[in-house]
Amino acid sequence: MYWLRRLFRWFAADVLALPSRALVALWVLVLLVLPVFYADPYVLRIVTLASLFAIFAASWDLLAGYSGQVNFGHALFFGGSAYVSAMLSVKAGVPPWLAVAAGTAAAALLGLASGYICLRLRGSYLSLATLAFPLILVGLLLAAPGFSGGELGLPGVPRLTNKPLGNYYIAVIAMLVVVFGLWALADSRFGLLLHAIRDDELAARAAGINTPRYKLAVFAISGAAAGLAGALLAHYMRIAAPFLLETALSFQVVIWGIFGGIATIYGPVAAVFVLYPITEWIGSFQAFGERRLLVFAAIVLVVLLWMPRGFAPWLRDRIETNCPRCKQRNAAWRASCRACTAPLSATERPRASGPRA
Amino acid sequence: MKRSFFAALGASLLALAVAPAALAQNSIRIAVLGPMAFVQGEHHWAGAEMARDEINKAGGITVGGRKLMVELIRADTNEMTSVPDAQSAAERVITRDRADFLIGGFRSEAVFAMQEVAMDHKKIFLGVGAAHDELGLRVERDYNRYKYWFRVSPTKSSDLGRTVFAVLNAVAGEIRKQFKTETPKVAVLAEKAVWTEGLIAAAQKNLPAMKMEMVGLWQPSATATDVTAELSAIERAGADIVFTILSGPVGIVVGRQMGERNMKAVAFGINVEAQKDEFWGAAAGKANYVSTLNTYAEVEITPKTVPWVRAFKERYKKSPAYTAATYDAIMLLKQAIEQANSLRADDLVPVLEKIRYVGNGAVIEFDKRHDPVWGPGKSLGIGVQWQDGKLVAFWPPEIKGMQPFRLPPR
Repeated sequence: MYWLRRLFRWFAADVLALPSRALVALWVLVLLVLPVFYADPYVLRIVTLASLFAIFAASWDLLAGYSGQVNFGHALFFGGSAYVSAMLSVKAGVPPWLAVAAGTAAAALLGLASGYICLRLRGSYLSLATLAFPLILVGLLLAAPGFSGGELGLPGVPRLTNKPLGNYYIAVIAMLVVVFGLWALADSRFGLLLHAIRDDELAARAAGINTPRYKLAVFAISGAAAGLAGALLAHYMRIAAPFLLETALSFQVVIWGIFGGIATIYGPVAAVFVLYPITEWIGSFQAFGERRLLVFAAIVLVVLLWMPRGFAPWLRDRIETNCPRCKQRNAAWRASCRACTAPLSATERPRASGPRA
Repeated sequence: MKRSFFAALGASLLALAVAPAALAQNSIRIAVLGPMAFVQGEHHWAGAEMARDEINKAGGITVGGRKLMVELIRADTNEMTSVPDAQSAAERVITRDRADFLIGGFRSEAVFAMQEVAMDHKKIFLGVGAAHDELGLRVERDYNRYKYWFRVSPTKSSDLGRTVFAVLNAVAGEIRKQFKTETPKVAVLAEKAVWTEGLIAAAQKNLPAMKMEMVGLWQPSATATDVTAELSAIERAGADIVFTILSGPVGIVVGRQMGERNMKAVAFGINVEAQKDEFWGAAAGKANYVSTLNTYAEVEITPKTVPWVRAFKERYKKSPAYTAATYDAIMLLKQAIEQANSLRADDLVPVLEKIRYVGNGAVIEFDKRHDPVWGPGKSLGIGVQWQDGKLVAFWPPEIKGMQPFRLPPR
């Protein structure tokens, strides 16, 4: 009872006090209880896919947003893990959960390997080098069609569970665990060091930070997270095919990241949960469903024109403000700071968003 | 009075609950799944529209003593860019739009993904577009799950290969007859793509057995804009036949440049661009003698083919592509529903397994994998050739309306 009371107090003081955190709490609650009130299989499918893509987007943000290693070939981890998991399940009869774990581990190794190869590259050179990796993997897979299924891929991957509700909760819970995990990691000392490496790697090295080690670690962690999403998607869709390694998927995650707001973790997740259902919804209309990519591009361009730092930071800045004295975040409608009671100026707006809401 | 009212109400509710699905609905909802922004999806829809209009004009489909109209649901699968989108489209038409049946699909991996959703919901899915053998193999391997899948068109990939070599043999026979060449020389010109590898391997294996000599393999890019080097090498090799395995725009370049060089070799094989009405213009009118496999032409593949192809051309101002076989899929479904007198998938499966349907491009019967049975008089395909700006059919020669195959002058 004591712990419950303490939890409630923490929830009221630390979560409900800030609109952005309250929104996140509401979003988590809606995700967890949605099937109870609205068990529409189509809606559950869209949320399931959005959850898996949200993991993928958040993992890209950790790598590109926090450490500045802008990866244009992030589908390597997503597709690579999907293939490893599918091959183990279909060809070797490994139980699906074990195969997902193996796929995730393989993606972490792929992250380490690509990170090692790109260790000396920076900026656009790094991005272009990473762009090549999934293409190389596709080439290898197509070169061994008997093993990989070639252009068609590997159909018939066993599901983790045959119940739609089970698949929904697997995706949602995996997403919540991974996203909050990445969020915590980004907000830890590790995240701070990644910021330092992104902003000035030379200065970080001069300060005694073993930058190659951190860069490799972030490649591996980001790869593992993206890999988990890819493996879960392959088992959900029951197929692992070259579309999981397509360049379009690598760029899709970049769009989600930039649209949502990079170096936030929650931004790309919000972007996926906004853009993915919207494009799916547009697709259901005969009038412009077949032009969904055009509509999608228009939405992204218009939003970025008005919200250059991304959708999520823009929204957060509208509903929250920084205390001019103690820099604590407060609801925009508060008259005084919730921490130091200093009066809050209506015109005070935060200039930069930290990693935490 | 009150008591009898409740009794009547109860009886009505019970009757509604146990009534077959057909009695509870006024139309049969058929989802047409395809990449609607692409030519394949456009023809999926066109074929389905023609079938719907014809059925509804005739009063609908008779089931349970009632005439039900056909209602089409147009579902863009976006499968060319996203396989998850295709799977979601299948889920949407089943759970949201309450589709009774699914037809269409094009890209094999997208069809695999959509097949899973259809089988989860135990919905009949008539494939029109994807040729991969594995789609049918799944029916054989796990019948209870995949029995709701039937492929209407095209024939499966391995059967497509059989047709190609059968036509190639006929072309070689023509060369033997006209030029007294015992062993025609064949140059294989295949675009550099994975899908061509099986046919290349088959050519390397089959050509000697078919008393043909393979003089070489040339592999330009699918988007190459110049194949002069390949064609001059093929000329030097003395090839009689250029066996094309092309799906990309390079097919136009090959046709145009062969004409420009007045090559003595004739092109036959798979050339997707050459199946289109626009090919002659795109090849600057120089692609005479280029030949390819196709599905429809104004010849009597069945008694329905000629009037249907003409009606299609009149309505859409273009020739039907093979994905327009959605027409046959819906007509076949109508026959099955009326025969089974039911809309229930489990009632329809045994009827479809035994059905014999005379379609526009084939006589459809299903084998144990629910694939169309391949062979003359069944599902086979035709050979067509560009002759002086017109696409004419030449194979199989026993079909009424076929024109003789022409060889370039030597």
